[in-house]
Order: sequence, then C-alpha cells, then structure tokens
Amino acid sequence: MTCRIKFGNAVAGICLAASSGMVYAQGTAANLELPTDASIYTRNAASLNSTSFNSSPYLLAANQNDAAVQGKPDLMPATPAPEYSPPWLTGRKAHQYLGLGTLVFAGLTALSSPGEGCEHNCPAVTAPRQTSGTTHTRFARTTAVLAVATVITGLIYHWDDFHLEDGFSDPDNQHVMLAGTGALLMLYAINKSAKSSVPTSHAGLAELGAASMLVAVKLTW
Amino acid sequence: MMQRKWKITALLAVTLLTGNVYASAAEYSLDNDFLSWLFDFQRTKGVKPVSDKQYQEECGACHFAYQPGLLPAKSWEALLNDKALRNHFGANAELDKDALKDIRDYAIRNSAGNSWYKQSRKIAVATENGPTPLRITDLHYISRKHHEIPEKMIQGNKDVKSLSFCDKCHTQAAKGVYDADTVNIPHYPNWDGWFNK
Repeated sequence: MTCRIKFGNAVAGICLAASSGMVYAQGTAANLELPTDASIYTRNAASLNSTSFNSSPYLLAANQNDAAVQGKPDLMPATPAPEYSPPWLTGRKAHQYLGLGTLVFAGLTALSSPGEGCEHNCPAVTAPRQTSGTTHTRFARTTAVLAVATVITGLIYHWDDFHLEDGFSDPDNQHVMLAGTGALLMLYAINKSAKSSVPTSHAGLAELGAASMLVAVKLTW
Repeated sequence: MMQRKWKITALLAVTLLTGNVYASAAEYSLDNDFLSWLFDFQRTKGVKPVSDKQYQEECGACHFAYQPGLLPAKSWEALLNDKALRNHFGANAELDKDALKDIRDYAIRNSAGNSWYKQSRKIAVATENGPTPLRITDLHYISRKHHEIPEKMIQGNKDVKSLSFCDKCHTQAAKGVYDADTVNIPHYPNWDGWFNK
C-alpha cells in the first residue's frame, strides 16, 4: 500500500512538473486565465470589436473568397516566413512523447515478464504471487499511467483532428480507435493480473494492446 | 525464456533497421511503396515536400509551390492543362508543352491519393466523392482546420492577407509540415493561447 501511495505521489509530481514545464517552455507571456471550454470559443473575442477592415469583422477565415486580395491575387512571389523555431515542448509534443514512452515501457514490461501465465493445469504455487513490487509490475504500472496520460493529452490537444463524419478510413480516426483500444486492453490486462492470486494469462491482451498502439502511432507518424 | 525474448527482440530490431536502411536507400520514395512507408521512421504526417526542380521553379516563380499532395489527382488534371492555365485564377500561366506534361505528370504521380503522407491521405479520403476542388482553400479539411482563426489574423493581417499564402504562417510549409506547432502568425505570436500549445 505504502509503495502504491509513493508511486502515485511520484506520478502526480511528474505530471505537475511536466505541466509547469510546458507553460514555462513556451517562452511567452503567461496568460493566467483559467482554460475553460468556453474560452476556446471566446479567446479571440477582441476581434469581434475590430472594425479595421470591413463591416463584418468576424468573418471566418475559411469563408473567404480571396476578395481581400483580388486584383493582386495568388500570383505573388513566394516570400519565406521569418525564421521561427517551434517550441521544443508543447501539448501536442507531450502527447507524442507520452505515446512513444508508452511503447517503450510496454516493451520493457514484456521483456521483464517472469514467464508466468496459466489458465489450465497450472502447477502448484508455493509462494504467494507477487502483484506489486517486482520490476515487471512497476514497468506495467508505468505503462498504464503513460497510456492514460497519452489518451488524455490526445483528447485535449488533438480533439479537432477527430471527426466521425470523416469515417473509419480517416487516419486520425483510425489512430484514435486503435490507440484507445490499445490503452484499454493494456489496462484490462494489468487489472486482470493484479487482481489474481494465482498465475493468470494476461500477456496476450497486453501485447495486443501495445501492438494496437504501435499501429496507431505509425498511422499518424 | 529470457534468451528467447532477447532473440525475438533482436530479430525485430534487425527487421526494423533493415527496413529503414532500405527506405533510405530508396531515397524515401514513399509515395507508391507501402513497404517503404511501413518500415520507415521518417515522419510523414504532413505532405510530401516538392522534390521536382522543374515543378518548384515553374510554379514557385509566381506563388508558393503547393505540394501536389494537397490536392487529389482529379484536381491537378483540371488545373494543369492548356486551357486552364490560360486563366489560372485570373492570370495567364501558360507553359510550353513539354514542361506542362512533366509538371502535370509529377503532380498527378504525387497527388493526395498517391501518397502515404498523413495529410495527403486525409485529403484523398475527404475528396474521394463529390466535386473536384480547384483551390486548396476550398477543401473542407483545410477550411475546417482554419475556421476558428479570426479574420483579423488572416485577411486583416497585412503580412498574411489570404489563406492561400500558406508559408506566411506555416513556417515549415516548404518541407510539407503544416502542424500547429510550427505556425507563427505574423503579429500574433500567441495566436493559439498557451493552453492549446
């Protein structure tokens, strides 16, 4: 129990540190407004009052017909954008790193497996089965935490990439489905093993989950 | 047991490495080769950068040389012919026959439906049915990606003016990278807000 609490605290600490780091890494003036759902739609509210260019100030960019530049339309010499270095850590990159970390830890979990796993005709167990405190269980739990964090950051930062209307052949939709299923399979496998006092077969599910996540990553890599 | 696992891991590593070397040797000819794409670690989440010198020079002389993967083949067929180029969005952009053929072939060969790059695949799926888009900004996928950006940042921004000028904000557009992390809207460095970074 103590070990679990320590582990939980460590994970919470890492999450907080990562969150703080992400804000500071932007190198921009901190905007301390609480990010609410509504703020996504109102953060550009100032433009509603803009009257600098025409009478309908909040025309969406997508609705333009290039009227603003007609007369000297698209045919202008290309001028490269000024030098710009993308931030090294953003929410989207955090999602990427967490996903890759999940795969790495899933691999380590598989490699550190004690080799148990038995549904039928299992040998007699002489010592109580260890469901925590071993290298394998630590790797497995870290994988689970990373998988959950990956799914959460994906939902937050890539929400606008996911559209049901695009159908199942859309790569982003496939990514969401496969990665989500993969994470769930791994969590189920860990839960199944943790709750069992006798050797139980869970590797297949976990490996299927990891493979599912791997394919999901590849599809949008 | 552990020895077997290490053997499997080593085998997988060798397979992946071989695949990567193979892809590198093929000079990342990803577009038509599924296996190259599968075993390649090169990022392909955007569109394939322009690799044809003639396409780059002829198209890039007047405007940003939009990657062929931004439109489906049927769009390039409609855009790249003698008649269409005589009135290419209000300008005469006629090319000699050979150049036109080469450019048209290159564009079709690398169009959205013929590329493994993610954004090209998305565009291909989205334009499979329905009318032929003639403008990249007409694509539902593109308009949806930009619909939350207020007018003042694009039409009202003297250094951008139109969605058509991709490279004004997408700092790695020439490399085929159009993700939000590489966007820098002139005069609006914090366009996305810190929470959405």
